[in-house]
Order: sequence, then C-alpha cells, then structure tokens
Amino acid sequence: MTTKLKRIVIRIFYYLVLCSLSFVFLYPFITMIVTSFMSDADLINITVKWIPEGLRWSNYKIAIQQLSYKRYLLNSLFISTVGTIGHVLSCSFVGYGFARYQFRLKGLAFAIVILSMLVPIQTIIFPLYMQYSKMGWLDTYLPLLVPTFLGYGLNGAFFIFLFRQFFLGLPKEMEEAARIDGCGALRTFFKIMLPISKSSILVATVLSFVWHWNDYFEPNVYITSLAKQVLPSRLPGLYALLNTEEAMDLVMEEGGFTFNNAMLMAGTFLVILPVLIVYAFLQKKFMEGVERSGLTGM
Amino acid sequence: MKKNSETETRKRKKFLTMKRRRGLEALMFLSPWIIGTCAFFINAIVSSIRLSFSEIVQLKGFVMEWVGIENYEYIFVYDINFMPTFLSVVVDTLINTPLTLVFSLIIAMLINRPVFGRGFFRTCFFIPVLLGSGYVMAQLLQIDATGSVGVGIALPPLLQNMLGHTLSAAVQPFLDRITLILWKSGVQIILFLAGLQSISSTLYEAAKCDGATQWEMFWKITLPMISPIILLNFVYTLVTYFTSSDNKLVEYVLKQVFTNTQFARGAAMGWVYFGFVFLLCGVVFGVLKLVSADAEKEK
Repeated sequence: MTTKLKRIVIRIFYYLVLCSLSFVFLYPFITMIVTSFMSDADLINITVKWIPEGLRWSNYKIAIQQLSYKRYLLNSLFISTVGTIGHVLSCSFVGYGFARYQFRLKGLAFAIVILSMLVPIQTIIFPLYMQYSKMGWLDTYLPLLVPTFLGYGLNGAFFIFLFRQFFLGLPKEMEEAARIDGCGALRTFFKIMLPISKSSILVATVLSFVWHWNDYFEPNVYITSLAKQVLPSRLPGLYALLNTEEAMDLVMEEGGFTFNNAMLMAGTFLVILPVLIVYAFLQKKFMEGVERSGLTGM
Repeated sequence: MKKNSETETRKRKKFLTMKRRRGLEALMFLSPWIIGTCAFFINAIVSSIRLSFSEIVQLKGFVMEWVGIENYEYIFVYDINFMPTFLSVVVDTLINTPLTLVFSLIIAMLINRPVFGRGFFRTCFFIPVLLGSGYVMAQLLQIDATGSVGVGIALPPLLQNMLGHTLSAAVQPFLDRITLILWKSGVQIILFLAGLQSISSTLYEAAKCDGATQWEMFWKITLPMISPIILLNFVYTLVTYFTSSDNKLVEYVLKQVFTNTQFARGAAMGWVYFGFVFLLCGVVFGVLKLVSADAEKEK
C-alpha cells in the first residue's frame, strides 16, 4: 500500500515538474500571441492579461504592411529552402565519405571539420567579406548559398557530423552486397543509402531550415540593398518604430493610428509563422527521426 | 597471346587496385567538402590570423604590414574595456555552460519516459529552437540592456513578501539566468534525447536484475553511454554562447571592426576568445577521455 502511494506521489510530482518546466517555455510564446490581438484599451488595462476583449486582426494588417511582408517572406523562403537543400545534399554525401572510407589524413580532415564547427563566423567574417567583395558576390545571395553546397555555410560541419554518426551506425552488409552485384559507389549512395536515411535527412532539414530562417548576422553583413533583405532583419526597424516618438503616429490611408506593442508582437509572430507551419507538418516525423539518428559512439 | 593478356590484366590492376579504387571513391565523396574548405575556410582562417598580427596600411586593396604581437599587446595592456568584458564573458560561460548541460539532460530524461502528452511536452521544449536566438528571442524575453529578463520565472508575490525585498532581489537574477538557460537549451535537449533513445534497454534490464538502483544506473550506464553527446552538446553550447547576439564581447569585437574600423584588433580579439573556447573544449575532451578510460579499466 505504501509503495503504491509513494508511486502515485512520485508520479504527481513528476507531472508537476514537467508542467511547470513547459510553462517556462510556453509563457513568452503565449504572451506574444495574446498581446498581438490586443486593442489599445486592452494594452493599458492591467486586468486584461490573458484574454483580450476581442481579436483585433487589424494589428496583423498593419504589421504586414510595415514589414512589407510578402516580398521579404519570399526572400527568406528562397534562402532557407535553397540553403537547406544544399546542406542535406552536400553533408549527407560528405558524411558518408567520412563514415565508410579509410584514407590517409582522415584524422586531420575530420579535425578540420570539428574546427570549422568551433570557429565562429564572427572571427572570420572580415576576411570572408573581403574575399566575397573581390569575387563580386556582395549584395547577392551567393555567399549565403554556395557554401552550403560544399559542406560549409550555417553550421555545415554540424550536419556533416550528424550524417557521419548516422551512417556509422548502419550495418555494412547492404553496401557489400550491392558492391558484389556490381553497383558503383555513387549508385550505392543514391539508390540505397540515401533512401534509408530519411530520418536523418528530416532532422537535418528541420534544423537547417530553422537556422537559416532565423539567421540575420551573415545576411546583414553581405546584403546591402533593402530589397534583398531577409525577414528577421526587418524586425529591428519595427522595434525602432515603437521607440521613436516621431514615428509613433503613422498616417495611413484610412487615417492615423498609433504603432503599439500589440502590432509589434503581431509582426514578431508573423516573422516566425512560416517556421512554425513547417515544423507543425514535420513534427511527428522529426521526433521519430531524432530518436533513430543513433547519436552515440563517436 | 595468353601471356599478353595476363600482362594486360596485371597492368590494369596496377592502375586500379581495390585500394586505389576505394581511395578514389573516398576522394569523390569528400570532394565537395575539400573544395569548400579551400575556398571558404582555410583562406579565411589564414588571412584572419595574419591580420591579427598585422596592421592595415592601406584599406583600398587591403595592404597589410606585419607588426608582430602589437595588436595582442594592445588589447591586453592598453585597451581598458577588453579585459573586463572578456573576463565577465568567461565567467558567464563557465557558469552557463554546465548549467545548460545539466538542465537539458534533466529535461531530456524527463521526456524520455513514457508520459501522457509526450508529443506536447517535446514540442514545448523545442519552441525556443524554432524562435531562433536573435531579435525574436530577445523581444519575447524582453531582455533589456542590463541583461535581465522581463518575462522569466518570477518569484510568486507571497514568497517575495516572506523573503523580503533584499533577499528576493538577490534571488531574481538567478531565476533570470535559469530562464535564459532553459530557453537556450532546445537543441541540446533534442541531442540528448537522441542519445538516450539509442541506449539499449537490455543494459538497464541487466542492471536491474543485478539489483542496481536508479541512481547507480544513471552514473554507471546513462552517463558513460551519452558521454559523446555531452561533448557534442558542450561544443554546441559554447559556440552558440560565443556567437549569440547578447554576448557582450562579440558586440565589442564587432564594434571594433565595423564602427571603429580597427580590423586587425578585432581579429586579434576574436582569436583570443577562440583560444579560450578551444582550451575549454580541449579540457573537456581530455576529462571525458579519462573518464571513459577509467570505465574501461573497471570492466
């Protein structure tokens, strides 16, 4: 009896810890969504914390307008999609090479992979900038996209590492059988290995897409023209709008309005909305992929 | 005729032995990465290091002059802002990194068990990753210039009254730090979860049969099995702290480079910081290796 009671108490305690921890994670997120629907009156009223008087969609309308949402959405989508494709293709390819082949200087090569994971972009951004300016790549998306096809770019080494670990965990028999049947190395990789590494591809896809989407440091350095900016880079402008007093009263065609915190939150939510949608679709498969990625035994 | 064909096959063998063929294939698989390394990495690293030992004489055309350790001397001896910022960031890193690892491991272990609403909890803990680390996160956590968090874990009013003003003001920064740490451990939780999942359950069953407690199983099975992930997470955490937008030192370095146009000094500062990170990784790698060697000895 007492052990049963003890078990129940432990169980309750366990859920209590889980719920309170998840609340810490959810709280800012929920605050953002709730605030984004608030009217001026709700924002001032301190009794309104969780449930606003009604959904004010016009906040979103204004935020979309201020962000020039459509154009920058397309920019960000383009960079994130192409960058993700580059990472998945190149890093699975290279990771397979590291996992399955023995060659001279392999240790050194892998050390360089780890090193490129360690050296942050801020340390080498200036030489890279000079290099790209010599190549005439500034103000294009090339500095952001070309390295992803060569195993570099945003956290490229991390993905090489991920795929290497995954392929190391797979049994070699299938490839040997394919080799005996006369299947070449490239065909073995594309026809046999890649199709069975769906789980790792999914993990890499989600992480690469999310990281590309949220990255603003490199785009801000390389891209100078306003029209080519990415969506997150538009947010500081939106924040500045809130803080400068002259910009407080913007005159729109329908009449004047005051830019307030609710609109800011609506804008913030809009910026991350595409990532949330992508994740919502891939969530279940992504978690399964994480569990199967076999990340032990380096 | 027969002899001829034999020599021919031997000739061909000489050119494409199994070993050579494997070597060529390895080269093929690594070729994108090799090109990338030559084009975007080695070059940048070397010129960044060279830059840190030089002075830019002429910005147009990027003409450098070797000055030895002058830049390093400057940042350590003359620059009054660098050392305090550097030390505070070092202390922050030394506190935050282990805490991040501990918290993310605890959370990963909590959601690794069969729980009701597992999918929901997992998505919760992954939210910070989706929101990124930049402007959005800063806005949501309302991190102000002093680094304190606006919407973190707050002490309940009742507890605040009991503790009194001074004490609760002393506890709050700690809670702020925990909030920030929790919010930055999304990827670490995912990686730990992946590691925990791949530990075979037969190990635990065998240990249970031998009468091991949960506590012993954690130290003797879980921890050694996921030690590679600990290293990976450690590196990942260090690097994200290193590059995060609210890192004061990075801010300072970027200010040197882009506002004051002190490119060489900026590069030197970057390498000093990298040296610190590299050293830490080396230490942790060494410790983990010792631990695993010990574990093997015990076997």
